Amino acid sequence: MVYSLPEEVLEHVFSFITSDKDRNVVSVVCKSWYEIERWCRRKVFIGNCYAVSPAIMIRRFPEVRSVELKGKPHFADFNLVPEGWGGYACSWIDEMSRSYPWLEEIRLKRMVITDESLELISTSFKNFRVLVLSSCEGFSTDGLSAIAANCRNLRELDLQESEVMDLSGHWLSHFPDTFTSLESLNMSCLGSEVSFSALERLVAMSPNLKTLRLNRAVPLGKLSTLLQQAPQLVELGTGAYSSGIRSDVYSALSKAFLGCKELKGLSGFWDVDPSYLPAFFSVCSRLTTLNLSYATIRSPDITKVINLCPNLQRLLVLDHIEDSGLNALALSCKNLQELRVFPSDMYVADANVTLTEQGLVSVTQGCPKLQSVLYFCHQMSNSALITIAKNRPNLTCFRLCIIEPRTPDYLTHEPLDIGFGAIVKHCKNLSRLSLSGLLTDRVFEYIGTHAKKLDMLSIAFAGDSDLGLHHVLSGCESLKKLEIRDCPFGDTALLANVAKLATMRSLWMSSCAVSIGACKILSRKMPMLNVEVIDENGTLNPKLDNCLVEKLYVYRTVAGPRSDMPGYIWTMDRDSANKI
Amino acid sequence: MFVWGQSWEKSMMNCETHKADMWVPPPLSNVSFAPNSYPLFSHNKVSIFFCKMDVTLGLLADSPAGHGDAGGGVPSGGSTTARPILTGSKEDNNKNSMVMSSEVTSSYPVVVDQNLNDLELGLGLSIGCGLKSKGWSQYARILTAKDFPTCKQNSSSSSSSVSIPNSGTKRTATDSVSPPNCTSVVGWPPVSKAHRMPSLANEIKSPNGNLISITEQNKSKIRTIGIKDCSKKKYQSVKVNMDGSLIGRKVDLNVHTSYEMLAQTLEQMFFRRRSSTEAAKYSRLLDGTSQFVLTYEDKDGDCMLVGDVPWQMFLSSVKRLRIMKNSQSNELAPRFQENNERHRTDAV
Repeated sequence: MVYSLPEEVLEHVFSFITSDKDRNVVSVVCKSWYEIERWCRRKVFIGNCYAVSPAIMIRRFPEVRSVELKGKPHFADFNLVPEGWGGYACSWIDEMSRSYPWLEEIRLKRMVITDESLELISTSFKNFRVLVLSSCEGFSTDGLSAIAANCRNLRELDLQESEVMDLSGHWLSHFPDTFTSLESLNMSCLGSEVSFSALERLVAMSPNLKTLRLNRAVPLGKLSTLLQQAPQLVELGTGAYSSGIRSDVYSALSKAFLGCKELKGLSGFWDVDPSYLPAFFSVCSRLTTLNLSYATIRSPDITKVINLCPNLQRLLVLDHIEDSGLNALALSCKNLQELRVFPSDMYVADANVTLTEQGLVSVTQGCPKLQSVLYFCHQMSNSALITIAKNRPNLTCFRLCIIEPRTPDYLTHEPLDIGFGAIVKHCKNLSRLSLSGLLTDRVFEYIGTHAKKLDMLSIAFAGDSDLGLHHVLSGCESLKKLEIRDCPFGDTALLANVAKLATMRSLWMSSCAVSIGACKILSRKMPMLNVEVIDENGTLNPKLDNCLVEKLYVYRTVAGPRSDMPGYIWTMDRDSANKI
Repeated sequence: MFVWGQSWEKSMMNCETHKADMWVPPPLSNVSFAPNSYPLFSHNKVSIFFCKMDVTLGLLADSPAGHGDAGGGVPSGGSTTARPILTGSKEDNNKNSMVMSSEVTSSYPVVVDQNLNDLELGLGLSIGCGLKSKGWSQYARILTAKDFPTCKQNSSSSSSSVSIPNSGTKRTATDSVSPPNCTSVVGWPPVSKAHRMPSLANEIKSPNGNLISITEQNKSKIRTIGIKDCSKKKYQSVKVNMDGSLIGRKVDLNVHTSYEMLAQTLEQMFFRRRSSTEAAKYSRLLDGTSQFVLTYEDKDGDCMLVGDVPWQMFLSSVKRLRIMKNSQSNELAPRFQENNERHRTDAV
């Protein structure tokens, strides 16, 4: 009988359950399972750092080893969230340093962390192993020095896309001579040079190093030295990939790559000199990930590379790949799962770059395992979208950005409603969708009707009326994150769907038609939501109910209103100084 | 009590009604409501918001007899006019919450207005605006997409965001309200910092070696923050080196609108004027009369003379500037040599 199983046995059984969702389900079976589960939960993921407080997390899960937190809204990546908004890691680090002495892993995304916090991390957790700071800011290389100096068992240091104040390249030298545990280092976001001798020394004394992502300042000439020291690398991010005409550099590099039998992923490739590309051709047949999104090489060169990579699963590339390169991709890479095509020139279509919707259609046709697409282009048609949907019903992530807002179908000049409608209708497991182009309320009707597994939706410059938003909020059962900008959605749809907002992680609406009056009503009706009105320009008059709000961020929380809001955020009068 | 409704109407006064596409939404099923309670929302169902007549606002042509109180009973007949207003419920007097209430009995029929010009069934949320010119012939109707406000908003949002265009007519790419120009919209296209103009972004992030003091580095960080706020143009600061001068400068091209302006800035940077009142009518750097020549390195790495192409084209291809001594530029157009001969001894 289940209830006669001793706790230790149940704990042991639960230790095999690692997924958060499963753990949450386990914890609500009965009170005793709740208790057992909470004592043995080792990993916590908090998608919105303001949804819960450190104290609540620590009280419920006293023995956590790994914490992952996300701070700012996604649109912060596109400069829509003003400076000083929040997402401070400080209070989390402080409390965890007191309560989680055995903490091993901290992963932060879009948060602000200071050097003091980094130092605290480095001294508080004796067994600290993994630090991932993704798109974070607020710290400098001094903080990194502290991590390097004090974290004796550090395995992973990943600064992916963070903004680091580069005070000196010498932080790498702070790793002590006895430090041998490094497995993964990503410093690609750092601007200035690091001391190469320190880097070389570090690589030499890290036999378990599997991932190394260098920054742009590491010259190509030095790369071969590093590769020779670390032939066991699985993921490599190069620095600048050019070196003048140096045949010695080329041959050393080529030889070094030959020695890397485990290499599966390549990235970096700033300032590519195409004549150096063949140096890594020897590893292409094993490559599963290739990130050429900084490489401004032209389509023929890209195609040459792609044709050598039959096992490619993930490709990130600039639109220089053009339709011809994408056709080659469709023919060569039958295992492709994820494709991201970034714009090389963000504002004007480069006349020399012929990347159209055809490229994407070819890839969806030729790559049966394709699941995730991020595609920037200048034109799209309903027929292409319908073809894509029918080709690839297994898509789980479809993010299309037609660069000029409100661009219609270039063939028929119609809105792209039926195209996106086909996507949501055929791709039944679609969990992430970003829309663009000319869209009316109709597309939202399709989304509300069909996109039942949609978890995250991004909308910009679309829709005609509140009905559009209403369709989404009432129809998308699994919706957790909704971000909207520049759409004519307003009070009515919002207030008609207040209950829905409590089932979601967050809602972002900027440059829409929401009034402060509606925000007040929403706040009053839903005390479990934080309704934050961002008024950067200072033009909001909270007494005028029909005054429109610039930006609105609504999220559910059990922690009440936050205490670190900047002056430009207005919330409902609870007891904060800023009141509506 | 009616504050919300009032303000809504005021803002709706100026809006154009939306001419909906002809679409037929999925059929209504199991619409449920309860008097005096907020119709809780469930998926695939749309609550119908019933209208109440409002006498006190004086906005209606007729007022049915016997319903003079502020709360307003809903008339039972089909001949009264009613203004759809969202009001506070009786239970919630103090909170003024947004509760849809209908003060009627449970035998509350849903009536389709036979007199409407289009007999389209639509599900919708109650807004009064589309019907401001019509009288209501019954107290409830299923609203169509027509009733949804799609007004041009008096947006108080930041100047860099785009106002929502009218949608009175079929939306085309050539809207009367000009569609947002990519270069003037914050955060569009949605490319994160890491992938934004890859070469330039990395250049800006890296300070020039360790010689720069902390304040300079902080300044460059502040400048990168400036990029975030400055949405109007691409941030474009290029290095300027002058022959014979060890220390280079940086100039922000986007604050200049012409070659003349740029040349004047450079002259002020590199050639201090004896008196500030001495204003040059034209820059000597550009016309070849000085012993220096302004050149630039373009995208392809070639050294080009500044001034040949239109300013905008120059902006898109320039990578760095160089002020060269005229003797080095002898390979350039012959007219410079001519000028050299004439003004060789001139100091700038």
